[in-house]
Amino acid sequence: MTRSLATTLNALGLYAIVLVLLVAFVAQLMLHELPCPLCLLQRIQFAMLAVGPILNVRFGPRPSHYAVSLLTAVAGAVFAARQILLHVMPGDPGYGSALLGYHYYTWAFIGFATGIVALAAMLLFDEQFRDVDKPRPISAFARTAVWLVLALTVLNVISTLLECGFAACPDNPVAYELLNSRR
Amino acid sequence: MEFTALFLAVAIVMVVAWWGMRALALVLFAATLLVSIATYLHHASDVLKLSF
Repeated sequence: MTRSLATTLNALGLYAIVLVLLVAFVAQLMLHELPCPLCLLQRIQFAMLAVGPILNVRFGPRPSHYAVSLLTAVAGAVFAARQILLHVMPGDPGYGSALLGYHYYTWAFIGFATGIVALAAMLLFDEQFRDVDKPRPISAFARTAVWLVLALTVLNVISTLLECGFAACPDNPVAYELLNSRR
Repeated sequence: MEFTALFLAVAIVMVVAWWGMRALALVLFAATLLVSIATYLHHASDVLKLSF
């Protein structure tokens, strides 16, 4: 795998993260379901998953950049697994709505597990790590992916501030605390 | 509030990774990951209702 192909695949990974963050946002706004603290932590891990690909796009692929994403994906999978276990007992309706038969935290676990496998697969190809110090131009495709993931993360800063205000986030949030306190 | 701060920290790590120094981005990433794990441990205090 060449450095150019690896960079393109990293940009595609960024678009996948953009899709995940976008779906979570659309569900939050359309279904009026506010994310719980554990849900927010999983979203944060999805956003953190983007740091490795951003470094790969800018500085060229390096094993340490993939390690950054691997550590994040493992943490995210643990957080999602805990939420699955909280609702695993028979009769428990789960938290929030189901999407295509699974709750968001189950999809999150599948997403993080898929990420771990994909990252391990990327590390199999040594060719991408050659000539890593030579600067290369960054494509518009990759630049757009970085800007989109950054924009969605900033939108999440605003959304979380509106939801939780300046206090601790409620366990089962039903309203935007900051908007309510202003009324 | 801690989640807003974490999202803000992730955004800052992304900005540093894209425009700043690589080493600084890695240090900030490590700090953010540790804080997010600490936040998880703080919130994961409910007993899991599992029986085997």
